[in-house]
Amino acid sequence: MAATEAQFMLSVGLIEKDVNGDTLWVWCFPSVGSDLRQVLLSKCCLTQEGRDFHTFVFGQFCRTWYYVTTVEVQEPTALHKVTHFSIVVTAKDFNPEKYAALSRILCRTYIKHGSPVKMMEAYVTVLTQGICQSDENGSFLIKDYDVRKAYLAGSVKDVVSQFGMETVILYTALMLKKRIIVHHPRIEALLEFTRVLPTLTWHRKDWSVLHPYVHLTDTEIEDLKKCPGYVAGFVDPEVSNRSDLFDVYVNLRDSVITVSQSAKESMAMGKLHKDIGRLIVQSAEDAERSDSQVIKDISVKTKEILANLVALADKCEDSKITLQGLKQHHFPPATENFLFHLAAAEQLLRI
Amino acid sequence: MEEVDRILIHALKQVGTEVAEETLSVKQFSSELIVQAVVRCIRVIDPGLGSALPTSLPPGMSARFRVGMSLAQACQDIGYKGEIGYQTFLYSNEPEIRSLLMFLVEKLPRESAEASDQPTGKSVVLQRAIAAAIRAQLVVPWLPPNCRLPLHTETQSPGALHSFHVQPLSLPHCTKGPGKNQLKVSCFTQAPLVLKMKVNDYQRDILPPVTAQPSHHASVVASILEQHMAELSAAQEWDSEWNSQGLLSRLTPQDYCSRKLSRLRKRIEEQLRSAALPPAESAFWGPRSTSDLSEILQAFRGSAPSEHILTKGTHFTHTRKFTFTQQQAAAGTSTSIPAGHQSESDIQLRQQDEQLSLQEHFQQLCSDVEQLTTDMKHMSVTNAQVLDELKQRDLGNSENKDKMQVKKKTIDLLPDTDNNMLKLQALVEASAKRVVNLASQWEKHRAPLIDEHRRLKEICSNQDLESSRKLSEIKSLHDKIRVSTEEAKKKEEIYKQLVTELENLPQDASRSAYTQRILEIVSNIKKQKEEITKILSDTKELQKEINSLTGKLDRTFAVTDELVFKDAKKDESVRKSYKYLAALHENCNQLIQTIEDTGTILREIRDLEEQIETENVSKTVANLERIQDDYKAIRQENSALAAKVREG
Repeated sequence: MAATEAQFMLSVGLIEKDVNGDTLWVWCFPSVGSDLRQVLLSKCCLTQEGRDFHTFVFGQFCRTWYYVTTVEVQEPTALHKVTHFSIVVTAKDFNPEKYAALSRILCRTYIKHGSPVKMMEAYVTVLTQGICQSDENGSFLIKDYDVRKAYLAGSVKDVVSQFGMETVILYTALMLKKRIIVHHPRIEALLEFTRVLPTLTWHRKDWSVLHPYVHLTDTEIEDLKKCPGYVAGFVDPEVSNRSDLFDVYVNLRDSVITVSQSAKESMAMGKLHKDIGRLIVQSAEDAERSDSQVIKDISVKTKEILANLVALADKCEDSKITLQGLKQHHFPPATENFLFHLAAAEQLLRI
Repeated sequence: MEEVDRILIHALKQVGTEVAEETLSVKQFSSELIVQAVVRCIRVIDPGLGSALPTSLPPGMSARFRVGMSLAQACQDIGYKGEIGYQTFLYSNEPEIRSLLMFLVEKLPRESAEASDQPTGKSVVLQRAIAAAIRAQLVVPWLPPNCRLPLHTETQSPGALHSFHVQPLSLPHCTKGPGKNQLKVSCFTQAPLVLKMKVNDYQRDILPPVTAQPSHHASVVASILEQHMAELSAAQEWDSEWNSQGLLSRLTPQDYCSRKLSRLRKRIEEQLRSAALPPAESAFWGPRSTSDLSEILQAFRGSAPSEHILTKGTHFTHTRKFTFTQQQAAAGTSTSIPAGHQSESDIQLRQQDEQLSLQEHFQQLCSDVEQLTTDMKHMSVTNAQVLDELKQRDLGNSENKDKMQVKKKTIDLLPDTDNNMLKLQALVEASAKRVVNLASQWEKHRAPLIDEHRRLKEICSNQDLESSRKLSEIKSLHDKIRVSTEEAKKKEEIYKQLVTELENLPQDASRSAYTQRILEIVSNIKKQKEEITKILSDTKELQKEINSLTGKLDRTFAVTDELVFKDAKKDESVRKSYKYLAALHENCNQLIQTIEDTGTILREIRDLEEQIETENVSKTVANLERIQDDYKAIRQENSALAAKVREG
């Protein structure tokens, strides 16, 4: 429904870079807390000296999704003394395409009128009515942007083609709610890659574990540590030294996946994993199948495993699994280990 | 002329000619003296030529003749362009001798040129003095210790060496001395002025002089050098730091110093704090006594590369550790030795028992550890699960709360749906409009503020540019000041050196006499030139007048002649007067002629008198007599030689 979806939008902010080289947070509606403001300023590429210009970045902080669109001011414009500006939209939901489109409209309004009031009008219309007139032909409708489309926007096939059988490590880590850190010097590559990973656990449809753009600052690391399992993307190569922050480290540029020492035991893989891996690779290599079909294949396999687990749980008292219960079935040790940890992740383990 | 002669005599004396004190002019030079002077000059000018010539005339006439010829030849070789022959030396006359001696003296190489080529400067003078002293000492031959005179013990025995010991000195006006620290410490208790007076009293009455402060007399020089070096280097460092960073920071010197002090203090605190923590943590795990020091030292090392002192410390503690463990092992073995006195089988049994019990104990511990590890793993997994569940439930709770509130409000509004819907929509529109209105009002406030901020920032950055430009100007001025002070110092030194050199120069034949004479001559010549020009102009005038008068006379006579002649044919008296006129004219012409002749003759007389003067000076008559005598002497010698040849 348009109404409830519009409730997801939290605020809109404006960051400007002027001819003196200062980057300032000049305006926001309704309000943005100072912590979040600091984080947003650091994410905006205008504060990072001399680096590249990123048109659109998004990320998560304190369970709030932020979407930053940056534009260079060009003539003709009503803005004086402003060379670049960024519009930051914060919301509760994950939908980059929707907010990118909205931000584009807001940017164009701002450039044309030079005052945030007009921009705010458009924002308020979207907030109250879910629709807004855009300069281009047509209008922006919230209901055009379904969340499922956002979830499926990435390409699983690319991930599998880059990592091959090692994709099963990522699958295992996600299933067991482990901490994955991905590193790539370019933020766009990070965003593209990390948003696909939660599709491997389609049965959860949980994108709140995704933190695609994190810096190594205290506030952000604190926030990250609050989540038991996450997929975090870092541009800073220093993160490879922070072994306290990850169980699986993915060097995206060199296509290398490393499992940290502390997690090696829980991530031990056996025949079951080999099967899953083969299935994933086969499905992705099939040119006939689309991305969503690949995801569906993976989720079918996952459901199968989970169904087995639930069946095992039902056999025990109060439908909770115990380690002893698992041991009775004499699974191979890797599978037993995996099922044990999976039960914990799916909250089927007796405490 | 006297000055010229004085200069010549002085120069000849310098060359080595023995000129008696009474001879004051070249006129009084005898032939012997002339020959000596010339030969010595030639020896200095060209040693090759001069070595062959004797300094005195030999007695024999022909020998003297030969010597004269060779001297004349040598002078011509050197470059004398005037007429010169044996007669110049044997039968000399004043002008020739004067010109020859002047030429030779001018040819003498300038000794003073060497001194002026060397670089000036106090340090060079000092170095030259040191070099001269060392040269003199090296010249002195080495003598064995028993033969040494007390004069040589200083330079030839090793007993006078002292090592370089430094002791701190207390100077009244130094920047880093105990005086200033005392001031700082006790300024809390007494008024600064009273304290300063006390410090001054102490420095005046009680503080011993610098030479008496060190305990060992030999350390005085070393201590003073060290103190001075420290002060100088500190001042230079401060100068360079201030000129590079201090000016850039745009603070006053005191502010800059205090800021630097606080910064350094903070860093030291941080280092100590970070170094203090790790040893406390790791102290539980290792043997306390030996590894504490090494760990503290390792912690101090931190991430920076270690200095040699610290590595030495750790090496030392490592070796100590090794010896300690060895000693421990040795102690352990030594305690087990006394037990070997009992029977062997008992010992073996007891050992086996002990071994079994220890093994059991060990196995028990292992199983305990395994159990604990599995429990821990299980616990951690379940802990994770529980936390996860808790988090999800929390989130679910908050979501549900929000939903509930919305639903509650909706339910309240349900009874009258349509109206309420309309009302809600109107409310929403109204609040949207109000919000937009508020936003525009806020924008009216915000926009000028942001513009103001940007404008001020621009001004600030412009001022920054200005101030950095001025800073660079100040720097360049500092450099210029430095360069100019150095130049001024150098010039001062050069001036002092030149003054001392001037004082050291020989006082006779001073330059001022030369310069005065030259200036006098110049002014005289100028006056004479003026007079000559005046006379010339007078002469020209006179000549012009004479010419015009002569012309007038001629014309007048011609006219008168014609006039009278015309009337002379008729009248007798006119004829007589014509004759008289002609005679008058004739006589006057003769008179004029005589006057002219008289003038010419007078001029000739003057010229001849001058010639007589010059000839008189060159004592030709005396020389002629001498030549005749010498000629007779040579003839006699020739006849004597011929007779000798005939006999032998």
